[in-house]
Amino acid sequence: MAPATEDALTKQSTDAATEFVNSFYPALQSNRATIASFYSPQASTILFNGNVVADGPAVQEIFVNQMTPTHYEVQSFDCQIINRAYPTPTATGFKTPAEATVKDISILVIVSGFVRFGESRDLPQRGFSETFVLVPNPTADGPKGKRRREWLILTQNFRLVV
Amino acid sequence: MRNAKAKGRTSASDRGGIRKRGAAKKVDREGDLVMDGNTSQSRAKKGRGDSGRSGASSGTRSQTSGRALDAIQKAISSNSDSPQANIRQGSRASNLEQVSVRGWKDQKCKARSNPDGGQESLISFLEKKLSVPAGTRARITKSRVEGDALVVSIKPELLDRMLKISGFSFAGAPLTIEKYDQAESAMLDQLPVNGSTPSAADTKAKMTAFLAKRFNRENKLLDLSDLHNDPDLIAMGIFQSTSTESKFFPALMKVWELNLSLVFDSPAARRQAVESVSLRNNKLANLKTVTTLAQTFPDLKNLDLSMNDFKDAQSLLAWRHKFENLELLDLSNTPFSADPTFKDTMLKWYLKLRILNGIEVRTAEELAALKKSPIPVQAPYFRDEGCIAENFIRAFFSSYDNDRNGLLDSVYDSESTFTLNINTAAPRAHQADVAAWDAYIKNSRNLLRITHLTARMSRTHTGTEKIRKLWNGLPATRHPDIAAHPQDWLIECYPIPGLLDPTGQSPTGVGGLLITVHGRYDEIGKGSKIDTRSFDRTFVLGPGGGAGGVRVINDILCCRAYGGNEAWLPEVDGAGQEAAQQTTTSQPTSQVATPQQVAGPPATPEGYGMPAPGKSETQLQQERLVLQVMSQTGMTLQYSELAISGNGWDLEKALQDFVKLKGTLPPEAFLAASA
Repeated sequence: MAPATEDALTKQSTDAATEFVNSFYPALQSNRATIASFYSPQASTILFNGNVVADGPAVQEIFVNQMTPTHYEVQSFDCQIINRAYPTPTATGFKTPAEATVKDISILVIVSGFVRFGESRDLPQRGFSETFVLVPNPTADGPKGKRRREWLILTQNFRLVV
Repeated sequence: MRNAKAKGRTSASDRGGIRKRGAAKKVDREGDLVMDGNTSQSRAKKGRGDSGRSGASSGTRSQTSGRALDAIQKAISSNSDSPQANIRQGSRASNLEQVSVRGWKDQKCKARSNPDGGQESLISFLEKKLSVPAGTRARITKSRVEGDALVVSIKPELLDRMLKISGFSFAGAPLTIEKYDQAESAMLDQLPVNGSTPSAADTKAKMTAFLAKRFNRENKLLDLSDLHNDPDLIAMGIFQSTSTESKFFPALMKVWELNLSLVFDSPAARRQAVESVSLRNNKLANLKTVTTLAQTFPDLKNLDLSMNDFKDAQSLLAWRHKFENLELLDLSNTPFSADPTFKDTMLKWYLKLRILNGIEVRTAEELAALKKSPIPVQAPYFRDEGCIAENFIRAFFSSYDNDRNGLLDSVYDSESTFTLNINTAAPRAHQADVAAWDAYIKNSRNLLRITHLTARMSRTHTGTEKIRKLWNGLPATRHPDIAAHPQDWLIECYPIPGLLDPTGQSPTGVGGLLITVHGRYDEIGKGSKIDTRSFDRTFVLGPGGGAGGVRVINDILCCRAYGGNEAWLPEVDGAGQEAAQQTTTSQPTSQVATPQQVAGPPATPEGYGMPAPGKSETQLQQERLVLQVMSQTGMTLQYSELAISGNGWDLEKALQDFVKLKGTLPPEAFLAASA
């Protein structure tokens, strides 16, 4: 397979990051029941202010049951490709570099913005910085009509910084 | 206004305030007097948005007093080389209408973080709204900033349209547009004293003396109470007419700022010079005459407005989004304080307010709770492998400050990627202006704004040489020493899988380290100007041939306004907590990576109060209750647990008990006061 062009890779990665940022933060805010679906089953390290959270379902549980209403505002974000031949899991093992398509990449995403804990607009805006690694969802092309998320969180590190 | 009218076209010499030695008198296109001899420069400076700031600190004389005098003289007669004076003088003659536009400096306004504070985009916003569809675009050729208002001059036929823009939302903030009130901000040069116009220098000297008398440097208090009975002000004739009176306060603030910049070198020292202001007993019914106080003292902690005539919240509205750090507010003996909504309104407006009219309205605990995030702040998570990350970080930032080329050659290679993004609107630690981002912005890859593929590609820098080119064009930096200032850093690290194996041997990839760094740096600008900024920087390190056996695969840098370090200081900071220490798992071993080690280990074990596999719901609830007791009482984990388990896990009872027993508890029951 011919290696993907720089154009195609940049488009793929920045589109993926944009789609992720545009859907993940609104979900944290008002669609918490979907939070777990953003995480890879292989997700390893998930951190919120230094607290370790086990996996996607645990993150969802915290947001659904314990978290005050939150308002996130993303003010800046950027991404880079980490591995342009990511070993995406397959039914029989992993994709090898020779089998990798333009979609088989891992993406580093860094987000900067603020969050308000609580409903009132008068509450303080707390600055946050958050880093993600996104990887392809091998089962995104699921059964007919049931398209799943194309990119999943492999690791996440949230920190209040202001 | 008598003075302005009389003087608009007469000789400059009778205008004490704007006389300038040797300046040729000129009349510009709109008939305004241009007092500055250097006409071409003056014209160039009259571009939109250039408020013609006075160069108060310029001057070459060695003697400080001489320089100070020059600066004062220049600042007061600064009207002569700023468009400001021209507008004020000439507005009558030139038949332009002036309106004041407010709201764009509101904290909700997204444009206020623009390098120019949003002026440029505000003006083009107004021009757009003023323009008739299919007609020629309306132009605003003159504007200036006065306090929180942008004063723009427009043709009289545009006035109605302009006033209708009031209430429109500009970059997220509603604008208030009113006809400009001359009296509102006329300055020193028009203060007549006892019927004659004194020189500005004279007025300035008197005001300086007045401020010196009213400023208590030790207590950081500026006492502006009871102005009407001040013999010096009476002698100056300040209260002889309402017009003079209304000019007095803005002028006083200007004199304060001028003096301040001579006394204190650093912006920080200037900000901290005054913590308290009293405006007690000044017959104030609204903030109109004193509104500039909020620009001069944005970080005020204590404000006395008692014994005035404020009737309702409306009369104080101009300060609603000001004074974000206000802790004490006195509005006693004002009609408003009898209003049933008074307390709630003030609590809502001022989030750090503790004392209102002498009564505690928020306890320290409530304040802490407000600041607290629902996600407790823990010490950094640091899982290094063989000190790789530690050694990398230890070397990285001093190399980045001192030898970027050497750094590139040591750990970057042809596949390394660096990108930069600037969050120009980030929350800030204090309300000071943020230095412009000009040196960065053309390379910022904020994907919210950079949406075209070509721009996204050209702002990605892959390979040592491309990164070198960018880095050599970025401003010089000084990061604080990590060992000496650990509290200024938050560094986390953990292994990640799935990196490309550079040797090609492992088809499933190799492992590496993800490092996230939050901190601050000083930017060394032109003329050694120093600006402190905050940054977030994430690295992915993989095995490679660079120094320490690593290569940088990814390096993403986000720069933003200085935001302090409070956010990552753990909320419960229990120095000397033995039990907590024992249960704390795998603290990072090196000082470089563990700012919190210096401040003491965290008061709770990692994961305490958070769900975990194998932890029952009951246990989780109990841990959370213990945390609540800790945060409200300041007691240690064990004592908090004793207190609440002994009360059948009833928080209310535990806290009541605590109040009763507080005095009898040993010192070791309490967490050490956090630094």
